[in-house]
Order: sequence, then C-alpha cells, then structure tokens
Amino acid sequence: MSALPMTLSTTAETETSKIARGLRERDMELLAELVERCQHRLVRYLLYLTGRRDYAEDLAQETWVRVLQRGSQYNGRQRFDPWLFAIARNLAIDYLRKKGKAVQTALPNDRDAMLLLPSSDRSPFEAAARSEDAMRLAGRLQILPPLYREALLLRFQEDLSLAEMAQVLGAPTTTVTSRIYRGLAALRSAFEEGDSHGG
Amino acid sequence: MEGDKRFRELIDRSFVEEVSEGERQLIHDHIRDCDGCKRYLELTARTIRGLREFTFVSVPDSNAQVREILAHHTGTMRQHNVQFKIWAAFAAALSMSIVGSALVYQVAKLLTVPMHFDTAQVQAGVLVFWLLPSFCAALRLLAAPGENRGIA
Repeated sequence: MSALPMTLSTTAETETSKIARGLRERDMELLAELVERCQHRLVRYLLYLTGRRDYAEDLAQETWVRVLQRGSQYNGRQRFDPWLFAIARNLAIDYLRKKGKAVQTALPNDRDAMLLLPSSDRSPFEAAARSEDAMRLAGRLQILPPLYREALLLRFQEDLSLAEMAQVLGAPTTTVTSRIYRGLAALRSAFEEGDSHGG
Repeated sequence: MEGDKRFRELIDRSFVEEVSEGERQLIHDHIRDCDGCKRYLELTARTIRGLREFTFVSVPDSNAQVREILAHHTGTMRQHNVQFKIWAAFAAALSMSIVGSALVYQVAKLLTVPMHFDTAQVQAGVLVFWLLPSFCAALRLLAAPGENRGIA
C-alpha cells in the first residue's frame, strides 16, 4: 500500500531536482516550460496581491527575470511554485513601495503593512467572476485587505499547504491560518447580508 | 452560544486544516440539530466554491512575451559572463607575467657573475625577452575577437 505514495514522492523529487538543475544551467527550454505552466497562475496571484491587472503583468515578467538571475538559489528540496510565489511577493511589495502606493499606517516599518492598501482602480475581480456567487464575492474581494485575499487564493485556488503558504508569506502557520479565517469571515458576510436583504 | 462558537471554529478548521474523523462526526451530529451552524457551514462551503469560480483571462501572447524577455536577458547575461572571463584571464596572465618575470630575474642575477654580465644587462634582458613578451600575450587576450577572447 505504501508503494504508490513512495513512487509519487520520488517522482516529485526528481521533478524538483530537474528544475533546480535546469535553473542553475539557465536552460531556456525548461524556463519556457515553467512559463507555460505557471505564468497564468503567477499573474492571478499578483492580481490578488495588487488588485491591478497592469501591475500584475509587469510584476510577472519581472519575477521570471528574477528566476533566471537567481535560479541557482532554488535547491529543489521543496516545490517550485511556492518558491516562485515568494519571489513574486517580495517583488510586489517593493514595487508597490516604489509606486508610492503605500501610506503611513500604524506599522510603518512592516513590509506587510503596505499590502493593506486597496487599489483605487476598477476591480478586475468582477471581470473574472464566472458565477453569480463569484460576482457577489468580487466586490468584497476588491476591498478585502490584500493580505487576506492572497491567503485565500493560495489556499483555495492554488491548493498550497499551510506550510507552503508560510514559506511564501514568510509568516508562521498560525498567522497564515488566522488570515484565512478572517478572509473567509469577511467574504461569508457577503452572502449573509445578501441573503438577509433578499429574504 | 458558546457551544455554537466552538462548533463554528471547528467548521472553519475543517475547511482549512486537517480535522480528525471524530471531529468531522461531531460537526455532522451537531448540525443535525442546529440550524444556525448548518447555515454557517453551507455559507462557508459556498464562499469557498465561489472563490474557485474566478477565471482570469490571460493577455494574448503573454507567455511568448515572457519567453522573449528571458531570451534577451540570457543573451545579456552570457555577454557579461564572457566579459568577466576575459578580464579574469587578463588579470591571471598579468599576474603570472609579473611573478614569472620576478623569478626569471632572480635566476638571471645568479648567472651575472659566471657569465660576466652586469645588472643593467640582466634587467634589460629580462625586460626584452620575458616581461614585454608575456605582457603583450596578456594584452592580446583583451584584443582577440569575439567569443575567442581570453578563453582558449
């Protein structure tokens, strides 16, 4: 019975070490394959983080350049995706800081505090909503602090484990879970209020 | 109410973390009699389902653009790498030239007496037949064309 998980884990290890070797050697074929596989999800993650399509596209390109430049730092011991998202996240924070999107908050020195700022532009979430429920959530998502938004995305769309999320967010798992719960509570209220208004 | 709060935390946990089979059964048993918690569970499930119903359309050619940028950067990085190797080779050749000349000079000085040379002659000999040729060889590394520079 334990043979299958063992095989899967060996396959996963082989794949991550293959990626690590390819990145060290700056293998363009491998990079093209990774772009094909991850670009869409990367843009989506950055969109959740920044709330802006144009920022997300720019940052995704920058992230790949960073992957090319610092590929040798990926050790192949963990999955590639969380490593990629962590790079994207750090770039996004710096980018938002440079763009002057940040205002002084109660935690002026906290990098995460920058992410608590909603975008002033039109929501890209409404455009992406593919159901009535998603449409109801879209408005909430736009005003939800990006910290919660990204936690929800990583957990429920990227299906990252809590440990992987902790790696991406650079926070303990307790903080990660608390962000997910708070995000869920904020979104759930969209239905609670909607239903009580309707009924 | 306190009991409901505990159950709602457990419901949240069941969607986000691992819960035991016993805890799952507890939730199941509780919502049979508690409409508030049943609704809470349904809304949570609905919220998570709703979150999965967002589809962002990729910008056309986005992947191709990224690949192009990466190819450009790879070219630039290779060029920088070659430049670095050229200068490293030049620096190595230059230091070998200086160290080698110093050694040759020491040996040549030992021969001044038996061969009846004076010091100036030895210095000129080392300069003309050792230091200058090796210095020129080092400089040639910088002058050689394209990819062949510095790295034979």
